[in-house]
Amino acid sequence: MRNFLADPDFRAGFREMLPANVGLTPFGVVCGVGAAAAGANLLGALGMSAIIFSGAAQVLAIQLLASGAPLLVVVLTCFVAGLRFLMYSAAMAPYLRPLPPRWQQALAFLLTDQAFASSIRRFDAGANPRAGAMHFLGGGLALWSWWQVTNVAGFFAGNLIPASWSLDFAVPLCFLGLLVPVLRSSPNVVAALTAGVAVIALDALPMRLNLIAAALLGIAAGTLTDLARTRSTRP
Amino acid sequence: MLIVGALNYLSRLSFIAFFARREMPALLARALKFVPAAMLTALIVPMIVTPAVAGSAGVMPRVLAALLAALVAWRTRHEMAVIIAGMAALWTLQAVL
Repeated sequence: MRNFLADPDFRAGFREMLPANVGLTPFGVVCGVGAAAAGANLLGALGMSAIIFSGAAQVLAIQLLASGAPLLVVVLTCFVAGLRFLMYSAAMAPYLRPLPPRWQQALAFLLTDQAFASSIRRFDAGANPRAGAMHFLGGGLALWSWWQVTNVAGFFAGNLIPASWSLDFAVPLCFLGLLVPVLRSSPNVVAALTAGVAVIALDALPMRLNLIAAALLGIAAGTLTDLARTRSTRP
Repeated sequence: MLIVGALNYLSRLSFIAFFARREMPALLARALKFVPAAMLTALIVPMIVTPAVAGSAGVMPRVLAALLAALVAWRTRHEMAVIIAGMAALWTLQAVL
């Protein structure tokens, strides 16, 4: 454990996730508040944040359980909300391939939007597998630990922060800080624009399937742009 | 709760485990480069423009504040600055508009 904490890549990953932790704090508090309101005890609330470790799935599960939805509906809805993890998993796969299976299994547990976006950038910039994995581990553990703190804080303190402060806006801001550096090439810009328009256009889809459908359309548009570009630059 | 957690974990592990022993098709590897741009945008946009999320102050201040925050992100690449600038812009715009 000690040699983890001394590792420069682990520390860099940990530090890099601190702003994301600030941005996600309102989200974690909301999850804790929701768990308390739904009648969960501390162990249940903490178990949910520690095991599920996904704000969207936690909020959905709480809302559905509180409204008396059948367990199958709860499980299915949360699975659909987590479909993006399939894409993150596929995108990370080539980089994690050289690592031992135990590392792959451990890092998979820590795969979140933020940890994914930050470490894929690191790997793309040419980090070696060990350094990249350490960076991922540091960032993932930073997110996981703070997530537990914010969930417990919300569970005990309840909704102390008035809605008029609009602190929920910190969550998209924290994603925005991760998105903008990705938009370096025109295929990436096309992918983002397509996904942004599609997610609104497909708003009527059930179970928030518009998120995953929009992302797939964006990926297709980005790939086509990329293919067209390499074809036109070839003599 | 355990089932949801397990499914979540399996989603996260799925392709990492699948492609650990297999070669990934070149076109798929190419397409996956666009996962961050497309998925992050699909997550962000509804959080900004959904009226139910925006509350009584409306969507406009959120859109403008997000655009300003994107500009800050572009110029500074500093995530904390993005959050501070975006929140400050939102509060100002909500007071003014």
